[in-house]
Amino acid sequence: MAQASPKGGRTGQSVGAQVILFQLGGKSFAVDLALVEQIIDYREPTKTPLRPPYVEGVLEHRGRYLALVNLRRRFGLTEAGPAHPAVLLLSGVGSDPLVGLVVDQALRVLSLPSEGVLSPPPRVFGIRAEYIRGVANAGGRPIVWLDIVKVLTATEAITLLA
Amino acid sequence: MESRTLVTRQARGRTVTPIPREQILLFRVGGEVYGIGLRGLWEVLSPEGVTGLPTPPYQICTVLAYRGRKLPLIRLSELFGASPSSVPPTARVLFMQARGKPLGLLVDEVVEMTEVNPGRIAPVPALATLLNPAFFRGIFSRGDRVVLVLDGDGLGSMSEVVNFYGG
Repeated sequence: MAQASPKGGRTGQSVGAQVILFQLGGKSFAVDLALVEQIIDYREPTKTPLRPPYVEGVLEHRGRYLALVNLRRRFGLTEAGPAHPAVLLLSGVGSDPLVGLVVDQALRVLSLPSEGVLSPPPRVFGIRAEYIRGVANAGGRPIVWLDIVKVLTATEAITLLA
Repeated sequence: MESRTLVTRQARGRTVTPIPREQILLFRVGGEVYGIGLRGLWEVLSPEGVTGLPTPPYQICTVLAYRGRKLPLIRLSELFGASPSSVPPTARVLFMQARGKPLGLLVDEVVEMTEVNPGRIAPVPALATLLNPAFFRGIFSRGDRVVLVLDGDGLGSMSEVVNFYGG
């Protein structure tokens, strides 16, 4: 889906990015649409022994098994999320073929025009720039476009400020 | 490997395809159900039949005496990160062979025997646990839950067990 290259375009790319927009802790985030296989309703996983603190357990979905990563916990949010969160089924984001990401609410598919995406400052809402592909704007609200591969493979704490 | 095959009903002109089945023993540790293949499993013992069951504070691996032999006992509750204050009355010791040597596994409760098509046992997602992946053979679904299947030889490769046998 080629667009005309904007004058002084930041990344040199002319194609916009398609992302899935979602809510977490009152903020808007986005991940690459290409990584999202499906969005499903939350289901209680089976708790696995000595799992990482942000992993809720393992779920079976259509014959495939996936770890459920709670993004609230990964970002250090202590408040409980909504009663019926959404799960983004991600593929190709790490060593597991499929990972489930628990978010507050999945919103919609969005096309981010390349000229509308800014490089992040050193931190956005407390999250370091290395975990962020860019910051966009939707109706006056900032959208943090996450590098979800980096988020899921990093071992250090990532803290989202309220 | 001992495995019984169930033969599907033969329809006229169709080839019979045996469905492989493996017997898996299901047991409970810390409120969750786990499984282990029957191959290499010798006996299920109640705690009265063995001496040397751990007392608090529990270690993951202790020494058990059974029929005049000493063998290492892996306390799965502790291995899985729990610190229960007592051994439940339903607890059993799975007396088995691991890497060719006797090994005991202490579980909270034996649930039942089940049969699983081994082709349905999938790899455990890496994010699922921080434990040594060698301890697990795989995972399969049972109703709305998933069951982790332990690997006896993998558990037998634990350093405490290897050291017990002077390895």
